[in-house]
Amino acid sequence: MNHSNSSAAATASGSADAANLRRNSRRPKYSKFTQQELPACKPILTPKWVISVFTIVGVIFIPIGVASLLASRDVVEVVDRYDSACLPANVSHKDDKVAYITDRDTDKSCTRTVKITKDMNQPIYVYYQLDNFYQNHRRYVKSRNDQQLRDKNEANETSNCDPEKTTADGKPIVPCGLIAWSLFNDTYSFSRDGKNITVNRKHISWKSDRDHKFGSDVYPKNFQNGTLIGGGKLDSNLPLSEQEDLIVWMRTAALPTFRKLWGKIEVDLKENDTITINLENNYNTYSFSGKKKLVLSTASWLGGKNDFLGLAYLSIGGFCFVLALLFTLLYLIKPRKLGDPSYLSWNRNPAGQ
Amino acid sequence: MKRFVRINDDSCQGYFCDNRISNTKYTLVNFLPMNLREQFRRFLNQYFLLIACLQLWPEIAPVSPATVWVPLLIIFSISAMKEAWDDYFRYLADKKANEREVQVVKDGILKQIKAQEIRVGDIVWLQENNEVPCDLVLLGTSNPQGICYVETSALDGETDLKIKTVPPICLGLSSELLRKIRGVIECPNPDNNILRFVANIRLDPPFIESDVQPLTINNTLLKSSYLRITNWACGVAVYTGNETILGMSRGSPEPKLTALDAIIDKLTAAIFVLQIFVVVILGFAGNIWNDTQAQKHWYLMYPKEGLWYKLLVIPLRFELLCSIMIPISLKVTLDLVKSAYARFIEWDEEMFDQETNTSAHATNSAISEDLGQVEYVLTDKTGTLTENKMTFRKCFINGTYYGNQSGDALKDVELLNAVRTSDPYVIRFLTAMALCNTVMPIKSGNREIVYKAQSKDEEALVHAAAHLHMALISKNCSIAVLNFWDNNIQYEILDVLEFTSDRKKMSVVVKNCRTAEIMLLSKGADEAILPSSFSGPKSRACADAVEHYSHHGFRTLCIAYRVLQEEEYKSWSQMYKEASCSLVDREREVAEVCRRLERDLEILGVAAIEDRLQDGVPKTLSTLRKAGIKIWMLTGDKQNTAVQIARLSNLIAPEPKGEILYINGKTDDDVVLSLDRALRIMRITARENKEMTFVVDGRALEIILEKNKDTFTELATLSETAICCRMTPSQKAQLVGLLKSCHFRTLAIGDGGNDVRMIQQAHVGIGISGREGLQAARAADYSIGKFKFLERLILVHGRYSYNRTAFIAQYIVYKSLLISFIQILFSGSSGLSGTSLLNSFSLMAYNVLYTSIPAFGSVLDKDLSEDTVMHHPHIFYFSQAGRFLNPSTFAEWFGRSLYHALVTYVIAVCCYCDKTCDMEELAMVALSGCILLQAFVITLDTNDFTMIQILAIWGNFVAFYVINLAIGLIPSTEMYMIIHRLCKQPSYWMTILLMVAAGTGPLLAIKYFRYIYRPSTIHVLQKMERSHCEPFTVTNIEPQQYQPLLCDLQVAIESTGLSSFDPHNKLQR
Repeated sequence: MNHSNSSAAATASGSADAANLRRNSRRPKYSKFTQQELPACKPILTPKWVISVFTIVGVIFIPIGVASLLASRDVVEVVDRYDSACLPANVSHKDDKVAYITDRDTDKSCTRTVKITKDMNQPIYVYYQLDNFYQNHRRYVKSRNDQQLRDKNEANETSNCDPEKTTADGKPIVPCGLIAWSLFNDTYSFSRDGKNITVNRKHISWKSDRDHKFGSDVYPKNFQNGTLIGGGKLDSNLPLSEQEDLIVWMRTAALPTFRKLWGKIEVDLKENDTITINLENNYNTYSFSGKKKLVLSTASWLGGKNDFLGLAYLSIGGFCFVLALLFTLLYLIKPRKLGDPSYLSWNRNPAGQ
Repeated sequence: MKRFVRINDDSCQGYFCDNRISNTKYTLVNFLPMNLREQFRRFLNQYFLLIACLQLWPEIAPVSPATVWVPLLIIFSISAMKEAWDDYFRYLADKKANEREVQVVKDGILKQIKAQEIRVGDIVWLQENNEVPCDLVLLGTSNPQGICYVETSALDGETDLKIKTVPPICLGLSSELLRKIRGVIECPNPDNNILRFVANIRLDPPFIESDVQPLTINNTLLKSSYLRITNWACGVAVYTGNETILGMSRGSPEPKLTALDAIIDKLTAAIFVLQIFVVVILGFAGNIWNDTQAQKHWYLMYPKEGLWYKLLVIPLRFELLCSIMIPISLKVTLDLVKSAYARFIEWDEEMFDQETNTSAHATNSAISEDLGQVEYVLTDKTGTLTENKMTFRKCFINGTYYGNQSGDALKDVELLNAVRTSDPYVIRFLTAMALCNTVMPIKSGNREIVYKAQSKDEEALVHAAAHLHMALISKNCSIAVLNFWDNNIQYEILDVLEFTSDRKKMSVVVKNCRTAEIMLLSKGADEAILPSSFSGPKSRACADAVEHYSHHGFRTLCIAYRVLQEEEYKSWSQMYKEASCSLVDREREVAEVCRRLERDLEILGVAAIEDRLQDGVPKTLSTLRKAGIKIWMLTGDKQNTAVQIARLSNLIAPEPKGEILYINGKTDDDVVLSLDRALRIMRITARENKEMTFVVDGRALEIILEKNKDTFTELATLSETAICCRMTPSQKAQLVGLLKSCHFRTLAIGDGGNDVRMIQQAHVGIGISGREGLQAARAADYSIGKFKFLERLILVHGRYSYNRTAFIAQYIVYKSLLISFIQILFSGSSGLSGTSLLNSFSLMAYNVLYTSIPAFGSVLDKDLSEDTVMHHPHIFYFSQAGRFLNPSTFAEWFGRSLYHALVTYVIAVCCYCDKTCDMEELAMVALSGCILLQAFVITLDTNDFTMIQILAIWGNFVAFYVINLAIGLIPSTEMYMIIHRLCKQPSYWMTILLMVAAGTGPLLAIKYFRYIYRPSTIHVLQKMERSHCEPFTVTNIEPQQYQPLLCDLQVAIESTGLSSFDPHNKLQR
């Protein structure tokens, strides 16, 4: 075919060197990445590999499970529920309970005794536990303003704090919001054989919160001044960073049943010791039928008493062992050769699986 | 219906559009609204906009609105920018075409103007090799006989030259007169039929003011054809701009959506339904909680009287909380990985065509997955399967095979000797080769002779004859001069009995001017020549030769002759003249007369011509067919050639296995009957191991599609291969549309302008680039240099793309479901108030950062090596049938996300939190559990690990801690010191470890069980491929080691029969 296409002929025969150069430049640049040829590890699931993985997991998990179960067993926990016990005998109806607790003038002190079941070494943590209290409710959890808590110049910053933003006459509340407003205010004092046990109420909150989230120069203002009194009051002479109960309270709990640290007892308690607790039963959990408990607990390297972790480790470790055993049996009974063409799926069921 | 074109009359030109062509989708003004409308056509985008709008309402927004708006705006502007960029290039291409200089007659003189300024009625002056700028009616040429040659490959794909004639009324006008010509052309309004043009012309005085003369398609020069071997030609513009026949046949390209995208859209719609369901249930429960409980919880200070819409607030909060079930990152991630696939295609060295110096190019980067799901490949023939270069290879003359040893008759010493010794048979044979044709020898400047032919076969024969010293050196109407060993021999050409597809042969009657011997020289297909020749050993030997050559894939032409007596010729000539002039049924009568002369021929021999297939075409086609892809050949070419090429290229299996069903007929009823018969045979043989192919031509197809579309559709779905010849561009597109309407994934591949519509219509359009016309390549989604690259494009790139996207899409949905299930579980313990466990930052980072980066690593994942895929094309079935993303795989991922959400949340709550921790801690424990779990999930589902993937998975996990440790240092954030506290506690790490073990243990067990005891084909191949190599090394499998395995497998595949891979199974599913 001898086309008289002169232009085509010219480019073809023309500058061969230039064409060569262009040729080189148009070719895709070779690299292992662009050619998708990067060295790759291509593992196969061999029975050996899988069975040993399950065995190893079992071997590791069961001891861990035992260890954490032991740790949990070492923790001594004394729990005393006092919400109903601390009511006067004549109060039984729910409305009466609410009326009793919200009456500001009644003396609500109450005395409880608990028996220590096992030796408890210091530090012993004192928690209060609330039930059915939704600190994580959307309305509640958002009702705060962190800027205001941190900086004294931001006292007017009360956005998000609805409905506890300002007092009736429009002054900003510090700390604003529902969380602070509903501060827990039961108090406890402990004595053993008539001798007071001192409870260390310092450093019960996170250090990071004290140092950076709650200002050391921010003082409570217009707090609990309204007609509606929620929970506890704050000493307006103490800066927020030292109001540790508030700081603890404002770490909103994740779940409706929660414990919050109230203090630390820094003496050892012995088995069969009887501890007398004088408490002020101020906080209203009666309207929503929430329980109140006082908890004394030691701690292990894993934290508080919690068998779940150990049990879970044990059962998963066991499960892995069982799987490893099962696969070994299967392997022994029905061995499959790797890459045996007779197992090609199209031999058995049409069109692959 | 009609338009009147006033020739050369400036006064009435404003009527029609100018010659500006525009392929752009947008203009500056309509870009924003149109692009937005296009983007919002997708369900996902509508959904995101709705969510983003709802986020603006602070009463219900769980986290800050910026977490939704910022990514949304970024995503939309990226898409818009991409579109604008593409459109800008289209605009530049248009501009280049529009501003080409052309010569136009203005006021009687030639003027250079830009192509876009041509108006209907202008006289356009073309020089040799010029491209025709718009549709013209030819008025004059440099040729005294009023003909010119054009090449129309851009229009119909045929590279043969076509003869166009000046209408008789204008014949003989000088170029000066032509510049002053005036008149009217009455022509129909523009349509897209390149085969029909019914118009009239009338010239004004002083030109021959005879009456109206008809114009046909033969009088037109269509846009995008090229003027060849004619010094100049001029014509009047009748259709311009986008109204040209080419412009009208170019459908506007629709945005393409891959099958995978469609499924993803459907699945997201399903998730949306689930989400609505969850929202309704939780919203209802939340409202009940509010009514019964909230008032009791005094610390919430719940207002006694809510607003009228308070019933809506909680459901809407949950809606927003659950909105991450459909992740916004899905679209971004998929867009990004898709462009990565496109880059991989462009970078692929193995798809670089050395010859034309082109690499593959992906114009549309969004549809790589469709390549992996192709069910039908519709391919053009000319220039796509073949190189469209005919060469004379072998011949059989008088009982001797020439060229069988050397493979090239032109180099066969025996033949050269025979020529030298002037063997009479050989001389006759060569004479016939040189004379029996319609080739025009053209002397070019340097005395070299260039042959111009309408048929490439003839060109090849004349060239070969010239090589064998029998050169055709000049030819005019009646005299042809041959040059044999420097002696000129003159022949008078008495008659040319033209080729028709019915006769399948052509003949010339020549008279040797020296000896006055009159000869009939015939050449044609064996089935046309052999019956009209003497039967006898010669004829039988000839039939054998034809068989021999066909078997080796050559096109064969039988050449025969007969010496005519003067009287016989004279009486015949009389009849022929009468027949040629008859007005009724001329064609039949001429054929009848020809038949009388073409009898008792003496066979000279057989010429074998090679129409070279492109490199690797047969292998490619057979691989693709093994992969379960049905292949149709759609060509504008003749039926015989098409079938021949189909045979050569492995499209049709050889005789006993493959069978051809012709659908044809003279009348409409014949065609329909023939179709019914074909369908019946097809149904009967469907179960046998036979490969049926049907052959249909354009005319029959037109009738069928009009009358019996359903039957044809059934036939189309039954047959593995089909050959459709004589197709117009719109018919090609129509067939694509037909297959699309049956929900098949189609891929169209072609090289010429006649394939553009088919390419645009198909799900995936591929253009062969590197040849002259780049039209197809420009319109296509992908362009490749050679047909053979299609194999790699589909099997390697398409398959990987599909697998990867299927994994990535499901993984992304999984991780979003996971996090939203955790949120839902948490809302169960937060008084159904719609509190978000995770804060704004974690939520956004989870979607955008922590879980996206490992997903990106998966664009490098390969389940099987390229070699294995190429050796076992059958596994293409998995991606073709959509085995990796369908409701059942999705259900698996859904279950996995639910299980993992339960594992994470329950373990975090019971093991770590146990009453004492606050929300931020719980959130962080759950979040880090999720992140680690997902690193394992991806690891478990990754088939091979390159460093990049390992880095993406584990680097991401490390990055999670680094980011959180860094952010934990900023006191104003909610996450201040959270992760620092957690990291110090052994119980945190134990909890995380427990989550991973509980989450992945069952997955590993199930995967292992399937892998060993219920392996799929892919697993088996994987095992074969990998069992011979060490982990953590480059796995270039040595061919020696691999080969025996492959053989085993091959045997296994073969022995079990490929029928199990028969895509019909898919239909039966």
